[in-house]
Amino acid sequence: MDRSASRMPTRSDSDWGEWPLAKLFRPRAIAVVGATSKPGKVGRIVFDLLRRTERPVYPVHPTQKTLLGHDVIPRVEDLPEGVDVAVITVNAGQAVQAAADCGHKGIPFIIVVAGGFSEVGAEGRILEDKLRAVVATTGSRILGPNSLGIFVPRERIDTIFVEHGDRALAGGGGVAFITQSGSVGTEGLGVASNIGFGLRAFVGLGNKVDLNELDFLRYFGDDDRTNCIMLYMENFSDGRAFLEIAGQVSRKKPVVVLKAGRTAAGAAAASSHTGRLAGSDRVVSGAFRQFCIQRVFDEEQLCDAARVLAGAPLPRGPRVAVISSGGGYGVMAADYIESRRQRTRLQMAHLSPDTEAKLRAIVPGFASVANPVDLTASATDEMTGDTLRIVTADDGVDAVICVALFAPPGISDALVAHTAAVAADVDKPIVVVGQFGPFTDGLLRRFYDNGVIGYPCVARAVRAVRTLVERAEFVHTMEGTP
Amino acid sequence: MRSAAQKWLHGLSNTKPDELDVKELLSCYDIATPAGLRLGPNDSVAIRNMQPPYVVKVCSGDILHKTDQGGVRLNVQPDRLENTITEMRAKFPGVSVLVEEHVHVSGSELIVGGLVDQEFGTAVMVGAGGILTELYQDVTFRLAPCSAEEARRMLSDLQIAPLFSGYRGLNLDADLLAKTVAAISRMVIDLGDVFSQLDINPLGWVNNKWMALDAKLVLNSKV
Repeated sequence: MDRSASRMPTRSDSDWGEWPLAKLFRPRAIAVVGATSKPGKVGRIVFDLLRRTERPVYPVHPTQKTLLGHDVIPRVEDLPEGVDVAVITVNAGQAVQAAADCGHKGIPFIIVVAGGFSEVGAEGRILEDKLRAVVATTGSRILGPNSLGIFVPRERIDTIFVEHGDRALAGGGGVAFITQSGSVGTEGLGVASNIGFGLRAFVGLGNKVDLNELDFLRYFGDDDRTNCIMLYMENFSDGRAFLEIAGQVSRKKPVVVLKAGRTAAGAAAASSHTGRLAGSDRVVSGAFRQFCIQRVFDEEQLCDAARVLAGAPLPRGPRVAVISSGGGYGVMAADYIESRRQRTRLQMAHLSPDTEAKLRAIVPGFASVANPVDLTASATDEMTGDTLRIVTADDGVDAVICVALFAPPGISDALVAHTAAVAADVDKPIVVVGQFGPFTDGLLRRFYDNGVIGYPCVARAVRAVRTLVERAEFVHTMEGTP
Repeated sequence: MRSAAQKWLHGLSNTKPDELDVKELLSCYDIATPAGLRLGPNDSVAIRNMQPPYVVKVCSGDILHKTDQGGVRLNVQPDRLENTITEMRAKFPGVSVLVEEHVHVSGSELIVGGLVDQEFGTAVMVGAGGILTELYQDVTFRLAPCSAEEARRMLSDLQIAPLFSGYRGLNLDADLLAKTVAAISRMVIDLGDVFSQLDINPLGWVNNKWMALDAKLVLNSKV
């Protein structure tokens, strides 16, 4: 077979790069093995989801004749040429044979959705060995088993059979999400998407019989459309290699990792102070810092960090100004900012006399023009925008937290546009705290759609600024090391 | 070329180095230790070139928690030295005794350590030391080997970081400490597969240098 033609990169091919993995994210055609008309079955859900993509999707099932208006292909070997991805939706026992069939057919990527492998014991481990044999003998690459597969908004490819905020994420974005846990991945993403989240691609690693986090880290590290990589990991296929590669990728884009599953066994056996102090987990934190990898501890922090890293410019320093129309929020923010318990330290910025004079000219007489700036309930959309512009222009300010409360009568939906206009003009991060009762998520989504990162509470907004400052520190460190 | 650690290992008589063995290894990596002398169970007490007062410690690779077992006597004056050694020998029959100069530490005691993490490999640690080190839990890790620049960043992870920038008039040299941590990180790597765990506790600022006052090294049994 002459492959030269198919290797010629077209314009849209190059969107996904020249790596072999590009075919996984931009296949010519997809097969769903085990596609069925039975409602609620994984094969049905996955096929239904994949029908949205603008490329052929073939259902494969031995007895089914048609499915949702498509002719069903009885056997893998009957598939036409050009299938780059096969999603295997049958159970563990049948999946091994199906994967072998796909391998022999020459399909380059096989996603095995079923659980019931090594996570359930010895029998499952034998099945995984058989999947590894498929990789070794046919050269096909396997994602999984026990994997939710991939979700690529830009290509409308989605194999995730559980609810996951798919519509909210459909706009796409720059975040690549590599996750070892399906549920943490999808639930976290679902919540994050409610307030706006830009996804480049989701990859469920599952049990990693073949493709693992290193493959995807390298791939998204080189992918120009990925501007932040987030990972949920329970165990690393090769810890040292992960650090080395993530450290290289971090020179180009932020890498945020939620490492779960702290092992206490090593610590208990230790006969030294060092061993007992490590408790296995402190080594992770230290090693991550050494390789400029940002660490988070739960799914909310993970998604919050990725949103702000992908969507806001980096601050030049740790000095934060706070603007609010409710004094209490400014005080709370100041408390969080000045907290000494975090390793990445923030400071309340000192506004210059010039800044304070300019503010004095536009705010009500009883407002506070020192940081935290309190516009009071007399705040208006325009006043907030002007204040943001004046404060961000102050050389003593590296980042701004703007508390957008919708209770003041002078505040309307136009606040979003006023804030977005300033954010678009300045290269300092502006992070919004948005609260609007039951409409909070919608409000934050409007901010997001207009290019402004917001969070529903002060603590998360301050934490997001801390994430940016930590990233800026890492960038500074890396610039000093070859 | 064999590393200093490999040469040291080669000269070791068993896989349980005692405190003085470990301090000799540290010296190969330019880490200061107090002047000291090991006395075998039957050696006569002849102390030369050492300034009183002294520290008398039981010296055996088999005894890992000597403080807890009453195996350490501090601030021993010359007139009490022979008696103290006799008492120590009575308590630990057939075991060597280490006599060292009792040095004065400025500021607080630190700990520097090393271990092998199952997931990431050999790591080095620095933090607040002394007998309460596990209570403070103020330590930070990096993978070994780590550069002096990276070791300098480790110090800013710590709650005790202000000690290195003039807190209460202290003038503990952070750059020299970073070099010490980097040297130890090199040393644990040089030890190779036999390395298991290291505690240097306390490490103290003594006469304008960082000095290892006590050291414990655990090796894997198959050298």
